[in-house]
Amino acid sequence: MSSGYKSWILLTGFILFYVAYLLLGALVFSTIERPVENKLKSDIQVLKEEFLNQSCVNATSLENFLEKVLQANKYGISILPNSSASSNWDMASSLFFANTLVTTVGYGHTTPLSDTGKAFSIFYALLGVPFTMLVLTACVQRLMHPVTYGPISMCRQRLGLDPLAATAVHFAILLLLVVLGFFVVPAVVFSHIEDTWSFLDAIYFCFITLCTIGLGDYVPGEKPGQKFRSLYKISVMVYLFLGLMMMYLVLRAFHRMADLHGLTSFFQLPHCDEDTEEDKEPIIEAGPEDQHEAEASAKPLDPASQTSYNTINR
Amino acid sequence: MRCPTLLALLAGVMLYLVIGALVFRTLESPKESKEHEKLLCTTRDFLQNHSCVTAQNLSDLIKSVVKAVEAGLDVKHSSTNFTSRWDLASAFFFCGTIITTIGFGNLSPRTKWGQLFCVCYALVGIPMFGFLLAGVGDHMGTGLRKAVWKMETLFLKRRVSPTYVRVMSAVLSILIGCLIFLAVPTLVFKEVEDWSFLEALYFVVITLTTVGFGDYVAGANRRDGDLFKPLVWLWIVFGLAYFASILTMIGNWLRVLSKKTRAEMEELRAHATDWTQNIQNMSMDFRIPNPLELNDPFLLQRRRWKRSTRRRVRRGALGHRGRQGAIGENGHLPNRWVTRSMTRLEVVRLGGGEVRTEGVRLGPGMGLGVGLRADCRVNARSEGRTVARSLSMPAARSVMELDYDPDPVAIMMMPWESGSVSESPESDSRSVVSSSDSHTSDMCMPGRRMPFASFDPSGSLCTEQRGRHGGSRLVYFREDVQFPVPLQQLPKSPNSTMPLPMTPLPTPPGCKMLDFFGENLAYIDESSDTLSDRNQTVEGGVSPRPRIHRRRSMRRQLKERRDSDMQPPSNPPTPPPLPHLRD
Repeated sequence: MSSGYKSWILLTGFILFYVAYLLLGALVFSTIERPVENKLKSDIQVLKEEFLNQSCVNATSLENFLEKVLQANKYGISILPNSSASSNWDMASSLFFANTLVTTVGYGHTTPLSDTGKAFSIFYALLGVPFTMLVLTACVQRLMHPVTYGPISMCRQRLGLDPLAATAVHFAILLLLVVLGFFVVPAVVFSHIEDTWSFLDAIYFCFITLCTIGLGDYVPGEKPGQKFRSLYKISVMVYLFLGLMMMYLVLRAFHRMADLHGLTSFFQLPHCDEDTEEDKEPIIEAGPEDQHEAEASAKPLDPASQTSYNTINR
Repeated sequence: MRCPTLLALLAGVMLYLVIGALVFRTLESPKESKEHEKLLCTTRDFLQNHSCVTAQNLSDLIKSVVKAVEAGLDVKHSSTNFTSRWDLASAFFFCGTIITTIGFGNLSPRTKWGQLFCVCYALVGIPMFGFLLAGVGDHMGTGLRKAVWKMETLFLKRRVSPTYVRVMSAVLSILIGCLIFLAVPTLVFKEVEDWSFLEALYFVVITLTTVGFGDYVAGANRRDGDLFKPLVWLWIVFGLAYFASILTMIGNWLRVLSKKTRAEMEELRAHATDWTQNIQNMSMDFRIPNPLELNDPFLLQRRRWKRSTRRRVRRGALGHRGRQGAIGENGHLPNRWVTRSMTRLEVVRLGGGEVRTEGVRLGPGMGLGVGLRADCRVNARSEGRTVARSLSMPAARSVMELDYDPDPVAIMMMPWESGSVSESPESDSRSVVSSSDSHTSDMCMPGRRMPFASFDPSGSLCTEQRGRHGGSRLVYFREDVQFPVPLQQLPKSPNSTMPLPMTPLPTPPGCKMLDFFGENLAYIDESSDTLSDRNQTVEGGVSPRPRIHRRRSMRRQLKERRDSDMQPPSNPPTPPPLPHLRD
């Protein structure tokens, strides 16, 4: 039973390490953000004082008023003059919302207000999330061949590289292409379209979205006078879907490579067994080489492990 | 997955999204306009009541307040004592939501450095959390499986059907998990956070699916009770792991189910082929080997012609031949036949996975001692079925597949029958082995490079796919000899009718066996063996290029065959005991 014992030890080790990682993150975030928050708070205080001084409003009524405003704002309703035109629930926005719900990104900039809406969201999510994961997995499986196996075998044949080296090279190139195509380029586009976003904000947004974290602090298309809002939102949806697929692809490639390198056995993790069942194309004559995907960098751009429960292979 | 299926799935998702959008719009728009109205009223009232405030002042104030709130500030408590929202517990919770990709958003980094750090942090943390989840899910899955197994045994004791038990245990395990990870937290949140039941359930579902809107966040408004947030986070981890393990379990079951169906079809086919084999054996018993023909040049040449015919048959052109069950061979290859079949019978008789096959010799010229030995032993676990079946396949199969040559078609050309008895025994031995392989390959991944592990003389012929067809097939050719062998049903492609899309084998092993029979039959045709002639004429002869039957329905065809004029033996045919072959 030593292997079972070992797996328990590994698991405990993992958990401890994970908790330590969280604590470290908490410390860093605290240190970075607290001063800024303090400053903002004091600024707001000053503003309120000024307002109260200038006017006949007393503090309580202002508080009540502000509370209502903020409540409405939480649901995306703003009383600022130029924002009353577009609804948050027109067709394109609803579609966008459904998409964020189903891909588990979940920005939260618009949330269902009514009870019926909430109940419906529950069922919709319970059905839609596995469904989307299934579709993503299927697409990625189809994509794996032209994107991964083809180039790798070509590398091996043409360049005569040893399988490990071939897959390392291929993985590095794939990573680079994904970063360029799905982070840098969209960030540039976003920072142009959204005036308030800097380039870093846009990259931050792309990253947070494609990892399906979806904090919601930056959401495209929410500007009041946005032109072609529907088209914009729909193209963001398409970008989201494609980006998720690419992340998942990269993750699969990484998993295969880890398998090859024995990392999964070392950490007693489930193996990548999809090859044996789901790859049915005869190109898999380059069978064993598929497993040979070496990875160069230690920090792969594959944060989408939570996008699919299917990544938890058994 | 096939392309049309994929496209259908994509279309399905799009449709699902559009439907959802429509429903949300219908549900939410009215409420939204109402809220808007209310807010306008409030503003108007406020402005009227406090006339010294201009609209401009007000909107400026509101803008800054809103910005502050979006930055995460809580402006409701405007008192001077300031508690940061970035205290350690909240920051810990925030990191947790980042790493699990839930991302509530009620708290988010505002500074440039904070955002940069967030990106790097997530890059490392998310895969790590993935591993953790895999590990936890693994253990939970094991525990779940044990519990399910215990329940199953409990049910099975009462003689309930296995499928029913399986379904029941699945449902039960899902219910238990739902209870622990959904219902209990909902009630807890309802009490602690003072939400309604629907809101608590909404929060639980949105969190566990990692959507994480952030409109409701547990523990967001609590300043005290620092233990609450870590508890919530623990619940999130285990809930996620539970959901992941449930999904994998369901996925595994579906996979097993589909394989099982295929395996059962394979069984039926194997039954059929076994019966053929028995007929052959019976006919062997009554033959007298004629050694004079071994070196007859005319016969040798004919044999060569037959070989080429056989190749064509194997490729499926003449897949139909020999289905009458070759009877009566004119003794040219008698020893081989006999010994091969003997070997098989011996092997199979030993039952499922426990075949110890030492020294199974295949007659003169066949140095095959080792051939069948190993195969069974490896699969003793629960794969005896496939092995036994494969071994029961007539050794005539010369598919030296897969282990030796990546190109299955080329392998097919390997001449087992490149010969007469005098020819290379090694090839024959290999062919025996590979023939057993080929049958199992049949049911596994066709199109793939049927990755049976290479046969090594030490006998560990293991293949990862054999295990998929669970169960152990016992010696069933005995009891199944009732129905006639529907050889033509040995499929062209075993998986052509299966739900899972798989590329068909280039040539199914069954056809190869047919080839062999076909070859013999054709051979017999030319030679003037009365027995075979009689049978041939009775059956109407064998057309040179029969149609290739697609296997429609095993059962239907079996029934047909049963009614044909093929007479099954009255008793299970017992092979004549060959003492030197017995273990």
